[in-house]
Amino acid sequence: MLTVTDLHVAYGKIEAVRGVGLSVDQGKITLVLGANGAGKSTTLKAIAGMVPAQRGSVVLDGAEVLGQAPHRLVRRGLALVPEGRRVFGPLTVAENLRMGGYTAGKKVLEQTLDRVYDTFPILAERRNGAAGLLSGGEQQMLAFGRALMSQPKVMLMDEPSMGLAPVVVDSILAGVRQMADDGIGILMVEQNAEAGLDLADDVVAVARGEVVYTGASGDARNHASVLRAFLGEAALAGKGA
Amino acid sequence: MSDFFNANLVLVQSTLTGLLLALSIQVPLRMGVFSFAGAGSYGIGAYATGILVLRYEMDALPAIALTALGTAVIGLLLGALISRLGGLYLAMATVAFDLIISVIAINGGELTGASTGLFGIITDFTTGQMFVLTVAVLALVAMSEVGRLGRRVDTVRDDPELAASMGINVRRYRLAAFVVSGALGGLAGGMNVLVRSTVGPLDIGFGLIVLALTMIIVGGSRSWKGALIGAVIFTWLPDLLTVIGEWQELVYGVIVAVAAIFLPRGIYGVLQDGTRWVQRVRRDRRAAARGGPVVDADGGLRPQEDEAAVLVAQAAEQPVRELDQLSGRTQGAP
Repeated sequence: MLTVTDLHVAYGKIEAVRGVGLSVDQGKITLVLGANGAGKSTTLKAIAGMVPAQRGSVVLDGAEVLGQAPHRLVRRGLALVPEGRRVFGPLTVAENLRMGGYTAGKKVLEQTLDRVYDTFPILAERRNGAAGLLSGGEQQMLAFGRALMSQPKVMLMDEPSMGLAPVVVDSILAGVRQMADDGIGILMVEQNAEAGLDLADDVVAVARGEVVYTGASGDARNHASVLRAFLGEAALAGKGA
Repeated sequence: MSDFFNANLVLVQSTLTGLLLALSIQVPLRMGVFSFAGAGSYGIGAYATGILVLRYEMDALPAIALTALGTAVIGLLLGALISRLGGLYLAMATVAFDLIISVIAINGGELTGASTGLFGIITDFTTGQMFVLTVAVLALVAMSEVGRLGRRVDTVRDDPELAASMGINVRRYRLAAFVVSGALGGLAGGMNVLVRSTVGPLDIGFGLIVLALTMIIVGGSRSWKGALIGAVIFTWLPDLLTVIGEWQELVYGVIVAVAAIFLPRGIYGVLQDGTRWVQRVRRDRRAAARGGPVVDADGGLRPQEDEAAVLVAQAAEQPVRELDQLSGRTQGAP
């Protein structure tokens, strides 16, 4: 569904991403792991068209899309849920969701809105309440819902559990699973590796801008390079001692 | 009334052009585009209309229409060139644009009348036509502040990255800001030259930026109503302050400083807060008189969504509290 090969991104002379390759399948969750500064978010932003890539290829549904503007990618079915929930506080939940349906027609918009309410009942309950008065977890669900409004085939998520209480993280990640089960391919960057590994189907570990491991999430736990990728060298050193 | 109108005709006309000039800077600011190109468009508009009437003997309305179209196109070209710049750099580039226009006006030889400018630009343009044009333009600007379009404009300003990831073509909105700003500035300049019959290099230039910004900051930067309030105040105030002679510059300065420090949303923001406060007091009083609940059932704050919802809430005797106390417009990490 989404295939990224040999992606290179540089900020000036600093190469943040060096030849990253990964793929996302329909109904599957691909988790990107890595330490701070490993190039996870940059990879995501380059795929979404937010930062320009030097070279590489991003194929969405059989078509090359690298270098297209972000708003065009949304129309092609690629939605990005940016880091930090970024809902519009003074607007209501329903208004926030409608903003996400910018690309859809009116009739389709209402249908999608109903589906989002089905997926996240709490949003239906609070639909006329101000988004700013939702809890952190609810705001994250609203951010998911807003992305769903564009009827994406693939969703990119940048740290959906960031800054949330552990008990809330579980329900957020359950929401991610449900969206995948509804047929959306999900590419997720997540710092919470423990919870992420339980959830994901496939794992890509990134270190210093390069992929160091690709495989099923079940195998990833036992793999030294994954540990090194998201905990750094110290974890392995500690294990060895 | 008509005596007053005739006695103050010049001020009434200046209010209208001042309003359009203020809007030509406010509209891009509302879209997060820090552009002062409206002042340059005003200069182009003033000279273009003057030249069209003097040299080509065009009538007032076609000359104005052609001018606004021309400044809109120039706005588009300018936008295509510099809309990728951000913040201070964009502001400086547009100030440079304004200065270039002034330089061209002084060095334009016969075409622009050099340092004396153009004069004798006499047409059948009336204050009535001026008023109608201004109101029509004002209505269009007001429409961009409400509903779906208004929310998109807010998103493009507050969080361009989020806007793009929702499928909004941010670049197109930024370009539109330049085009609208150009058309508004050109219209203001064109109308001004038609009612004044002269234009010189001193009438355009850096002072216009200061004037427009003053109007917006004191009046209110988020709504056309703020621009209107600012335009009225800073057109009529200098006239009223002539009594105090040389002290008027000081009063002027104090007003701007006070507004910038204490009224971040301008006088319009204060009026908004005032009406909401009165509504709330009335509602609470009515609720207290009937012995109804003062805090709603779930004890939560309710947002002010729209008037209908407010009425519903009022009917249910539930206080509607504003969301101004919420930190910022977007919640979560920036």
